[in-house]
Amino acid sequence: MANKPENKIIVVGGGLSGLMAALKICEGGGKVDLFSYCPVKRSHSLCAQGGMNACMDTKGEHDSIYEHFDDTVYGGDFLADQLAVKGMVEAAPKLVKMFDRMGVPFTRTAEGVLDLRNFGGQKNKRTVFAGSTTGQQLLYALDEQVRRWEVKGGVKKYEFWEFIKIIKNKDGVCRGIVAQNMNSNEIVSFPADVVILATGGPGQVYGRCTASTICNGSAVSAVYQQGAEIGNPEFLQIHPTAIPGSDKNRLMSEACRGEGGRVWVYRENPETHEKERWYFLEDMYPAYGNLVPRDVASRAIYKVVVHMGLGMQNPNRVYLDLSHIPADYLERKLGGILEMYGDFVGKDPRKVPMEIFPSIHYSMGGIWVDREHHTNIPGLMASGECDYQYHGANRLGANSLLSATYSGTISGPESLRLARSGKLGDALTEAELEAARKECVEEFDRIRAMNGPENAHQMHHELGDIMYKYVSVERDNKGLAQCMKELHELLKRWENIGVTDHGNWANQEAMFVRQLRNMIIYAMAITKSALLRDESRGAHAKIVLKSDYDQWDDAKKKAFDEKTGKYHFDAETGRAMTDDGNDDLVFFGRDDEKFMYTTVVSFDAANNEPEVSYREFEHSLIKPRLRNYAVAKKE
Amino acid sequence: MFHTTFYLRRLHSLVGLLVLGMVLFEHIFTNSMALGGAPVLNGALATMELIPKPIFLALEVGAIAVPLLFHAIYGIYICRQANNNPGRYGYVRNWQFAFQRWTAWLLVFFLAWHVFDLRIFTKAISGTPISYELLHSMFTGNPIIAVLYIIGMFAAIFHFCNGITTFCMTWGIAKGPRIQNVVSLCSMGLCALLCLITLVFMGSYFVM
Amino acid sequence: MAEQKKVRLVIERQDGPNDKPYTQEFEVDYRPGLNIVAALMEIQKNPVTVDGKKVAPVVWECNCLEKVCGACMMVINGKARQACCSLVDNLEQPIHLAPARTFPVIRDLLIDRSVMFESLKRIHGWIEVDGTWDVKDAPIQNPHTAETAYEISHCMTCGCCLEACPNVGPQSDFIGPSPTVQAYLFNLHPLGKFDAPTRLNALMEKGGITSCGNSQNCVEACPKNIKLTTYLAQLNRDVNKQALKNIFNK
Repeated sequence: MANKPENKIIVVGGGLSGLMAALKICEGGGKVDLFSYCPVKRSHSLCAQGGMNACMDTKGEHDSIYEHFDDTVYGGDFLADQLAVKGMVEAAPKLVKMFDRMGVPFTRTAEGVLDLRNFGGQKNKRTVFAGSTTGQQLLYALDEQVRRWEVKGGVKKYEFWEFIKIIKNKDGVCRGIVAQNMNSNEIVSFPADVVILATGGPGQVYGRCTASTICNGSAVSAVYQQGAEIGNPEFLQIHPTAIPGSDKNRLMSEACRGEGGRVWVYRENPETHEKERWYFLEDMYPAYGNLVPRDVASRAIYKVVVHMGLGMQNPNRVYLDLSHIPADYLERKLGGILEMYGDFVGKDPRKVPMEIFPSIHYSMGGIWVDREHHTNIPGLMASGECDYQYHGANRLGANSLLSATYSGTISGPESLRLARSGKLGDALTEAELEAARKECVEEFDRIRAMNGPENAHQMHHELGDIMYKYVSVERDNKGLAQCMKELHELLKRWENIGVTDHGNWANQEAMFVRQLRNMIIYAMAITKSALLRDESRGAHAKIVLKSDYDQWDDAKKKAFDEKTGKYHFDAETGRAMTDDGNDDLVFFGRDDEKFMYTTVVSFDAANNEPEVSYREFEHSLIKPRLRNYAVAKKE
Repeated sequence: MFHTTFYLRRLHSLVGLLVLGMVLFEHIFTNSMALGGAPVLNGALATMELIPKPIFLALEVGAIAVPLLFHAIYGIYICRQANNNPGRYGYVRNWQFAFQRWTAWLLVFFLAWHVFDLRIFTKAISGTPISYELLHSMFTGNPIIAVLYIIGMFAAIFHFCNGITTFCMTWGIAKGPRIQNVVSLCSMGLCALLCLITLVFMGSYFVM
Repeated sequence: MAEQKKVRLVIERQDGPNDKPYTQEFEVDYRPGLNIVAALMEIQKNPVTVDGKKVAPVVWECNCLEKVCGACMMVINGKARQACCSLVDNLEQPIHLAPARTFPVIRDLLIDRSVMFESLKRIHGWIEVDGTWDVKDAPIQNPHTAETAYEISHCMTCGCCLEACPNVGPQSDFIGPSPTVQAYLFNLHPLGKFDAPTRLNALMEKGGITSCGNSQNCVEACPKNIKLTTYLAQLNRDVNKQALKNIFNK
């Protein structure tokens, strides 16, 4: 170690991925400057509840790594880079053992080995868990190890510092960042060899979601505006079971269903005409039942409540029922989240069914990276939820803790290798650092002086409303086009924001105004890519409109007519619906020929407009096949 | 590494419970003889006089004065670290915690007065032996003094009994909430009993 | 039409660490299930006091709003609590909000809790693993011990117990119940045990476990219902044993 030059890596974000990368860098002999919005122990990773997938095969089910691999690729509707996924699932059991050694209090069997539970989209028990607070426990383990390195001098933490932008040297290589102390509002430039972004998801673009208030995607949007490409942003996971709230939708883990929870609504039995509980997921998807992947479950709930008019309405809810499971079993396996439901709703889920509804949860998309987690900007890397890797068009539950950790084990060592490769060009000069800093100071001063009639938080609420209206469970091209228009208007209105706090000390309002602009711009990337992807795949489900149909050539029309059977276009909305009396919506099919490509979005600064293109990815290992959870998976 | 704070604190706990507890019990026991009137109390005091002077003095210094001074001085240091908040957090244990500190302050003044007045001024300087008659005239002559003594005794008894509870926690004897509750109830019961005894023998001066 | 029910909040504000605190009153629309963070968010959208004065929005810290991150701890009606799970329905009005003054105040309800994270360094709050690389296997653990560890590992460093503890504050050097009890968590782990003496010795130092005065407010204040007093007593036991070893084993 003594002979190697000292390499300084900046890691932005202190969630699982950022911390894992930081540990790997320290172990490799590098030094880390770790930036975070909050004490890293409060990062959003801790909101993950259900568990982490790894093929431990300790339940006598002959689970295999290949099975995990196939489930992930199939669950992601064949849009994930298969080599990347393969690496991840192979490493998973080792990562679990690492966490175990670090002291994560996993739930154990009577014999003392790690217990496993069922999770959505997987037939085998494959999810290790620590009660219902797995993310919290994993994050704490890494936080502790990083603290150890902090004491040893490997890591320097900058907590309550907000990342503003990257700084490139004259060769276009990212060699530093500008960040702002959120308390003193001081803006400083930091040089480094390599910068890793591990800033998490963009949930706050939707306002009310299961994400923390800090998950605004602002950093991702900032580097996107500086030239980084975004991959697959249209794929946003909607979690079927969340407790809707005016301040946030609180996650109710998939583990509830993994431990036997059932989803139902009241309906009139079509034959006996008696009122009954309809376990619609079990009815629609007999093979997987309540454990279908999240996109499938969300669409089913949407269909049952919004289109069939069953379930509770105003507000829309369905029941998630655990009350048939023994209370002491629930306490041990799900205690944490049941307590949370009680805290926030005031009812005991051990006795009465919970009332839940789908909510925006996770972004499969993010900064485009290669398998080593390099972005298209040299010297800038991304890992964790803020990158687009591993999940394709839909993420399986309990794969996020895995991908976050695993990506850190890749990006960390890779950043060191890059730092030592000699390909990074010159370090930033004092003048370059100062120029970048000054630019950010001026921007912040401009924001602090804003004096228009609009309130930024009000506008954020509107942004969420717009995105939920047009870009959520079911999308159509008319709505998406309208959404783009409204987002552009919102961006214009952003200029008219007025801040009431013009000070320069812990000015959260001004910092939020800056984040809001980034959020609006990221929202456009999501919307535009959704608009251009004329197919349904994973979380992206697009309804066929008359206007779409009219533009097709005859062959395509014919194929569609044959496949759909009898249907009509709704006079009011132009949406295609079946004629069988249910008025089921007709969605675009999956179009492998045209759309089995990664969406790549880059930013056109002149027009504030996303530019979408498509890129090949590695999918040679498992041949694409139809994804259907009504029947058991065939390989 | 020598953990001075740790050993001082543990010594403070030990001294408080064992040594000063003994002193308190001795006082309550001897003084309760007042119930039997002058002959009994004076007899008990005379028995104590049988202890040879040097040993008695050594006991007074070694088993009372020094431990008391240490417990008081270090106790003041401990008291000053607390910011009592039973107004905001009105749980029983928190009230007891606050009372432990309030009685501590009270006892510092009470004991200073008690020791100086009776042991140093009356007994040592004036040479007046402590006797039933002396106490009787002191208490009945000025009932305020009697009231002050009763308050002082109550404070000492509470401080000691609550000390039993905290001792059991500090030494890891009573670990779980149930046993801690039992210990706390028992020691508060002892507190009530000792207070009652005190009230009775103090009252006896006024009846007889 | 029924009149919109209002919620009145009296907020203790402070512009900077050395400025004088002052109070301002706000009103937000009531809705069922409204919590304190949601109420503060409403104030952000329209930062006007009941006197009609337009002011800077209240500054506070929050992240997860699910009672797991620990960020939004503040003093609500006199008690330290997480703001996100403090439902207006369960609080007496007007609702008084104040920063947890056990810690230095940065601005309004925003406080500096870095001392808690420093304390975790002091108690050696980690397990000395060789590294993040694969070493084949992790030791099997007693599931009952693991359950105890799981309970303690819920601690989210929110600082409720420190705010409630009369022995923590500027007047004292006590590191507080939370970091102290964390030492027990690591001592429970089969690998963490190896460094138990280091942690116990650290707890014997000034401001360590000896500063606990058994007011037991911590266990009442803990939003995660961690049996802090039980583990403090256990640690007392362990520390005493360690002290005997220190004396008699050398």
